[in-house]
Amino acid sequence: MTTKRLLCHGIAATLLACTTVHVRADSDEAAQPPRFEFSGFGTLGAVTTDRKDVWFTRYGVNFPGNSDPDFSPDSLLGLQASMRLTDRNDITVQVLAREDGSERQDPRVTLAFFRQTLAPGLSVRAGRVRVPFFMLSDSLHVNYANPWVRPPVEVYGLNPFNDLDGIDLIYHKRLDRLDIEIHPYYGGGRIPFPQGSARLKETRGLNVVLSQGEYSLHLGHGEGRFTLERGDRQFLDMARILRATGQEGVIADLSGTRGSTSFDSVGVQWDDGDWQLVGEYARRKTNRYVVSAHGWYLSLGRRFGPLMPYAVVARQTLDKQFAQATLPAGRLAQLWDLFLTSRNNAQRSVTFGARWDFAAHAALKTEWTRARPDENSWGSYFPRGNPLTTRIGGRTFDTFSLSLDVSF
Amino acid sequence: MIRIARASFLALALLTPPCALAQIVIVAGAQSPLPVLTAAQVEQFYLGRAHTLADGVVVTLADLPAGPARDEFYQLLTHKNPSQIRAHWSRMVFTGRALPPQEAGSVAQLRQWLASQPNLIGYMPAAEADAHVRVLLRLP
Repeated sequence: MTTKRLLCHGIAATLLACTTVHVRADSDEAAQPPRFEFSGFGTLGAVTTDRKDVWFTRYGVNFPGNSDPDFSPDSLLGLQASMRLTDRNDITVQVLAREDGSERQDPRVTLAFFRQTLAPGLSVRAGRVRVPFFMLSDSLHVNYANPWVRPPVEVYGLNPFNDLDGIDLIYHKRLDRLDIEIHPYYGGGRIPFPQGSARLKETRGLNVVLSQGEYSLHLGHGEGRFTLERGDRQFLDMARILRATGQEGVIADLSGTRGSTSFDSVGVQWDDGDWQLVGEYARRKTNRYVVSAHGWYLSLGRRFGPLMPYAVVARQTLDKQFAQATLPAGRLAQLWDLFLTSRNNAQRSVTFGARWDFAAHAALKTEWTRARPDENSWGSYFPRGNPLTTRIGGRTFDTFSLSLDVSF
Repeated sequence: MIRIARASFLALALLTPPCALAQIVIVAGAQSPLPVLTAAQVEQFYLGRAHTLADGVVVTLADLPAGPARDEFYQLLTHKNPSQIRAHWSRMVFTGRALPPQEAGSVAQLRQWLASQPNLIGYMPAAEADAHVRVLLRLP
């Protein structure tokens, strides 16, 4: 039986079990707490950019837009059901509907795990959990939990992976006033995009979070095998050119199943109830298929009752290109440069925004971002017209975002 | 004169800090075997960082519905305001870190739950704590 079928059966069984318990709870006048939890989160978000020859896009998350304003980068709906089996174990299933990198909006299972408490402070989860590479990776789509419209793309664009099919351990310990969370994990995940997919395999990592009062420090490291199988036209054209110019060996750096990657991150948070400071540095290293890069952001917000204005500065920098080829000057060299540029998301940005918690469990956010992709980069933008004639690198873009986040 | 007295009383009421609410108590059922708890232990439970005592006994949690008593409880215990707590629990729940406290519809329903679940703890204004519950901790 495939993993997918196993997950489907697991979901069906959980939903059936939840329904059964619900019926029982109704007939019992709720004299006991319910054994299941049903909850959800959602975002309706619109994005537009002042330059009408590009789309704002989150590479690996959504497909570059087809309407302006574009609702695809941020809009989503997540539903979650959990059932307490005994007081030491439970099952959780979460389904998320949002556009993916291949422009499909089919609901996907984003959590499906069984949790067992092994000892005081120690639990194990097996099934589908979230990739926890960076400080906010596992709540990347739970926009209500984050201060901004979306976590800064300069850092979170470094890891578009969401799912981790595998196993993890979470251990909590309190030492005096210091809370320690140790979170090792192992597994793999997949991202689809048009005519291809990216996979993480045999991925293992460790996160440590230290919290004390208003302060929190996150340290993370993960590494694994990485595959990128491309069948899109841009790749096929480039492969033909490389073969024709006797550089067939380079193709193995553009697409294949022999990659390796690692992620490192350090993040800090300080929140005294009035001021909120969040900062993070993250680095992705790869040996082929995608660039090695690092990014950081620093965000400062101030609460005035339900309103929190904030400012963010962010930067992603290219460390190493993933392939080298020597093509004859002219059109072929131009095509090669375009190929590399389209895979580079280095940019700098400054954002001013505000969050308004206008009701319990609902927040309205608006953001203005001025971003400048590096000369050899598309940053977080995608050309609407001909990629060969649309210059993105070195230009400045003003992007406006408006979103409504709910949690229920 | 009466008008002045009324106005003075209203002004005094408005100037009184809203945090001066009733004491909150953390409670279990009267027959519960759970021991007296420290504020640090209860904070760990209600931030989703722990759900067992040091001897391995599992503790389950109940919440009151959204309102002043709940906000006061979290403020006193965790020093986090309502929006910080909602963001914190959204992150904990939707990342699958922890199951949230089970929300009782009222203090009366919470008392019923506590009577039937020996390992369940909840909280309520001190004035609501009657002979059916046992106080494990007082805040502040």
